[in-house]
Amino acid sequence: MSTPLTEKPAVEPLPRTAGAASMIDGHYAPPPKDKDGKMWVRTSAIIQADPQTLYERWSDLESSPSWQEEITSVKKTGPKTSHWTMKSGDKTIEWDAETLASEPGKRIAWHSTAGDIHEAGEVVFEPAPAGRGTIVTILMMFEMGKIAAMWETFVGRNPKQAVVENLRHFKALVEANEIPRVYPVPHGPRGTIGSLKESAFGEKLPIPAGSNASQPA
Amino acid sequence: MKAVCWMGTSKVETLTVDDPQLLNAQDAIIKITRTAICGSDLHLYDGMIPTMEAGDVLGHEFMGIVEEVGKDVTKIKRGDRVVIPFTIACGNCLFCKKKIWAACDNSNPNAQLMEKAYGYSGSGLFGYSHMMGGYAGGQAQYARVPYANVGPLKIESDLSDEKVLFLSDIFPTGYMAAENAQITEGDTVAVWGCGPVGQFAIASAFMLGAAKVIAIDRFPERLELARSLGAITVDYSEEDVSVLEALKDLTGGIGPDACIDAVGLEAHSSDLQGVYDTVKTALLLETDRPIVLRQAIMAVRKGGTLSIPGVYGGLLDKVPFGAAFGKGITMKMGQTNMHNYMTPLLERIEKGQIDPSYIISHRITLDQAPDMYKIWRDKKEKVTKIVIDPWA
Ligand SMILES: NC(=O)c1ccc[n+]([C@@H]2O[C@H](COP(=O)([O-])OP(=O)(O)OC[C@H]3O[C@@H](n4cnc5c(N)ncnc54)[C@H](O)[C@@H]3O)[C@@H](O)[C@H]2O)c1
Ligand SMILES: [Zn+2]
Ligand SMILES: [Zn+2]
Repeated sequence: MSTPLTEKPAVEPLPRTAGAASMIDGHYAPPPKDKDGKMWVRTSAIIQADPQTLYERWSDLESSPSWQEEITSVKKTGPKTSHWTMKSGDKTIEWDAETLASEPGKRIAWHSTAGDIHEAGEVVFEPAPAGRGTIVTILMMFEMGKIAAMWETFVGRNPKQAVVENLRHFKALVEANEIPRVYPVPHGPRGTIGSLKESAFGEKLPIPAGSNASQPA
Repeated sequence: MKAVCWMGTSKVETLTVDDPQLLNAQDAIIKITRTAICGSDLHLYDGMIPTMEAGDVLGHEFMGIVEEVGKDVTKIKRGDRVVIPFTIACGNCLFCKKKIWAACDNSNPNAQLMEKAYGYSGSGLFGYSHMMGGYAGGQAQYARVPYANVGPLKIESDLSDEKVLFLSDIFPTGYMAAENAQITEGDTVAVWGCGPVGQFAIASAFMLGAAKVIAIDRFPERLELARSLGAITVDYSEEDVSVLEALKDLTGGIGPDACIDAVGLEAHSSDLQGVYDTVKTALLLETDRPIVLRQAIMAVRKGGTLSIPGVYGGLLDKVPFGAAFGKGITMKMGQTNMHNYMTPLLERIEKGQIDPSYIISHRITLDQAPDMYKIWRDKKEKVTKIVIDPWA
């Protein structure tokens, strides 16, 4: 050992805070607990692209149907406002949203202003160390009640898992230029408990089109 | 098309199912010319792997001719001859970049199922349960192959299918097992299981510099194949043979430098330990029978390495972790990072250093597959490896 053990290691100062408040003053902070009719979800992914690219793709709200489950259309209605439509079978829910903050390459925050869904969210883009991509963290809040329950019957996932899956779809689309899918898959007869298993294994869950909106061939 | 379908535990049928179709722009459809049954398929046959569904098409070792490609496929074209790796990888995520292809972040559409079971999801696999993606397998006439710019290995020489087919899984798996054993020149390596994976692990251990390989199994034909590669064999089922004692006797009392468990979760044992595990798994108190794992941990020398290509699925009972800690051993394991090995191992085949077809014992049709599953599971008819011609 050439250096004495008491010498301070030469490292960068540690970050004091992290995206969507997962760390405050150098200490881990768990996501907010569900209460008072509010449901919270925080999730993150490490994506092989730079923060600015990810920020731009996320900001392109009108392309959200390509990676967000059951979103059929997003229309910009003003510089900071948009109108969202979610459809499943003959059921439709719609709401308006407003962008509250938009810092290029760093973060986007939004909330719903009117309609069938009450939600607020933030997505933060932070470079991972040593060129390992970008850490994307989302924090979202839904007001529970009729809508959250409806979402569940609607999309087949609870809204929390939908946030997790949507980030997964976003990541796959950015990294691999497509969202993985297997259905329709060749198979033999599914048998008596087939439909039960189909739903348990997620065969009925919606998968957004990704880059695949037209024909694959 | 015709395909081999899993219809429940110990129930496999060859049925007519829909042809696969292109679903994404980087997909290819392969017309399969040769495919095989793997020891891993026996775990499905025996109902040891959760999230199988009746009707699922089996098989993950296959090769063939490119029939059709999606619009973003540039690396292969219709008419190319290709071997398909059984792990599906996107090529662009953090794990693919680190060359841990079997941990690809993007290829498993059912990642949430595996996250619930394992914390994080591995890559998708062909024909290997819904938790691993629900992809249709290759014991069929056609298969859909995603990320066709990343996985398929083009075969440009006129080597026969049988010589290159095992690049789809077991040759790379045996090779990675030997690599994971961290062999240095002169090492003694013990290999449990002389099935196909064990065979290629033995051959690869010699390639990587092992001086001595000790192969353990109970089937004479498999032990004989191992001896043909230069291994010393131990039949664990012979009266008065204790594997631990044998390994001490053959290593000057210190134990093998590395141990390879090429058996996995359905290890066989006739003694009380085996009865204990069989009863516990039957009662759902334990999911795996880690008989070989326990032995290998006990056998490996101090500071040695344990490499585990044999598949484990769930919760293991009575694993002597204290011995592992006490000896300071290293353990390396996992699904094979296929994409690292296919090209270099193809070169070895092309140079004539190895002819992997030596392990084939049975050549069959798709219609014969259901019977062969049973015959192999019951270790009848001296099966070592079964290859299927889906058009015969
Ligand atoms: N890691 C991977 O990516 C990967 C890939 C392919 C196969 N595998 C796994 O490798 C294992 C072997 O595959 P295989 O195709 O060679 O299967 P196999 O069933 O042909 O061979 C297993 C061998 O182990 C022997 N065996 C059973 N109990 C034993 C014991 N107590 N001691 C010593 N030997 C024993 C059997 O007699 C048999 O010969 C399986 O678990 C399979 O799932 C893993
Ligand atoms: Zn296999
Ligand atoms: Zn990947």
